[in-house]
Amino acid sequence: MSEMELPLVIFTVLSQTAVGLVAISAIRQHAAEGPAGSVRPEWMTAALLLIAGLVASLFHLGHPLGASLAIKHLGSAWLSREALGTGVFTALVIAGLLSARGRVNAGLSFAAAVVGLIALFFTGMTYSPPGFPALNNVMPFVFFLLTAAILGAGFASYFTPAEKMPLITRILTVSLIVGLVVYLVVPCLWLSGGTVMRQTGLNYISSPLYWARIIAGLIVPLLAVWRMKTVPAWAPVLVLAGEIMGRIAFFSLAVHASANMGGIY
Amino acid sequence: MACKNQYHQENGVIWRDVYELKEEIYPHRERAFYSLACNHCENPTCLNVCPVVAYYKRDADGVVVHEQDKCIGCGNCIRSCPYGAPRYNPVLKRAEKCSFCWQRLDDGRKPACVLGCPTDALQIVDLAEFDEANAVQYPAGFPRYPALNPSVSFRLPAMPKMIRRKL
Repeated sequence: MSEMELPLVIFTVLSQTAVGLVAISAIRQHAAEGPAGSVRPEWMTAALLLIAGLVASLFHLGHPLGASLAIKHLGSAWLSREALGTGVFTALVIAGLLSARGRVNAGLSFAAAVVGLIALFFTGMTYSPPGFPALNNVMPFVFFLLTAAILGAGFASYFTPAEKMPLITRILTVSLIVGLVVYLVVPCLWLSGGTVMRQTGLNYISSPLYWARIIAGLIVPLLAVWRMKTVPAWAPVLVLAGEIMGRIAFFSLAVHASANMGGIY
Repeated sequence: MACKNQYHQENGVIWRDVYELKEEIYPHRERAFYSLACNHCENPTCLNVCPVVAYYKRDADGVVVHEQDKCIGCGNCIRSCPYGAPRYNPVLKRAEKCSFCWQRLDDGRKPACVLGCPTDALQIVDLAEFDEANAVQYPAGFPRYPALNPSVSFRLPAMPKMIRRKL
C-alpha cells in the first residue's frame, strides 16, 4: 500500500469542490430562469478553497520553493499541465469574484467552468500513472469529476435561492446515485484484473475507510436528500468528510506494480 | 553491495534490488532471483512525467540520467515508474535512481554492479545486436509495459537437475 498523501488529498478535494461550485454557479446564474443567488460569497468560497488547496499542495513537495518550476514540462508532463490549468482557473475565479455585481459575467462564468473542468481532466491524467495498474486508466478522472459534481452541488446549496433549490437537489441526487454505483462497481471490476489490480480491489473491499466513505459520504446524504426533497445544511459537510475518506483510500489503498516483483502479474 | 559501495546511498534508499522468484514461477525456493534497477526505458515514464525536466536521456547510449539538483521532490516519477526505480531520498527530499554509472561508462569502465557481480549475472549488451534464443524482455515476474520498452533482456533460469541415488 502507498502513503496517505494528505496534502494531495486536501488539494485535490478542495480544488475539485471549487470546480464543481463554479460550474454549478455558471449553470444556475445563466442557464436557468430566476434569481442568481448569493454569487459573490459563492465565488469567494471557491477562491478560498482553491487557495487553501494550493497552499496544502506545497506541503507535498520536498522543496516547496521550487513549485513555480512545475510548469516547465508542458510538452509531456500532466503535472505541469495540471499546475498551469489550476493556476489559470484560480485567476479566472478571482477575476469573477472581483467583477461580480449580483452575477458574474456569463462569458467569464462559463470560461472559468470550462477551464476548471480542463484542469480537472489534467489532474485525472496526473494521477493515472503506469505504476498503479488499477488507476492507469480513465477512473481517476471519473472519480475527480464525481467529487466536483457531488461537492459542487452540495456546497452550491448554501448559495442557492429557494426557487432554484429543486435544480440543485436534482443535480446532487443524480451525482450521489452515479457516485454510489461507480464506487461500488469499480473495486469489483478490479478483482477480475491481474495480481496487482486484484490486490487493489481486495484492499478496497476489506477497508473500513472505504465502507465508511460509501455509507457516510454517499448513502446517508442520498437518503436524506431523497426523503427531504432538498439539501439539508449538514449534508454537504458529511459529503465532504466522505470525499476526504474516499481520497485517502484512493492514495493509500492502490497497490504499486513493483510490489509484486518476482510474482505472477 | 557494489552499488552501495560506489554511491553510499542513505539507509533505505536502494537503487538496485534483488527479488526472489516466487514458487508459482520457479518451483525451487531461493534458487532464482532478479537483480533489478532502472531499466533505462526507450520511452521513460519518469522523464515524461517530471514537471521540472530533471531527467534526460543520453543520445549516445540511452542512459536515463536524473539531475537531482533540479528535482523538487514531487514524487511523480516514483509513482509513475512501474518498476519502482526512482526512490525518495528522505534526507535530500528529492528523488534519485540508478544512473547506470554513466561517469564510469564515459571513462571506459563498467557500471559498479556489472563489475562487482561474482557470477556475471549482470552484463551490458547492445540490444540491437543481442539475439539469444533463451532471452526475453518480459519474463514471468517482471511487469510488462511495452509503451515504456524497458532496455533489458533476461536469460530465463534453467531448472535445477535433481540427482538421486538409486535405491
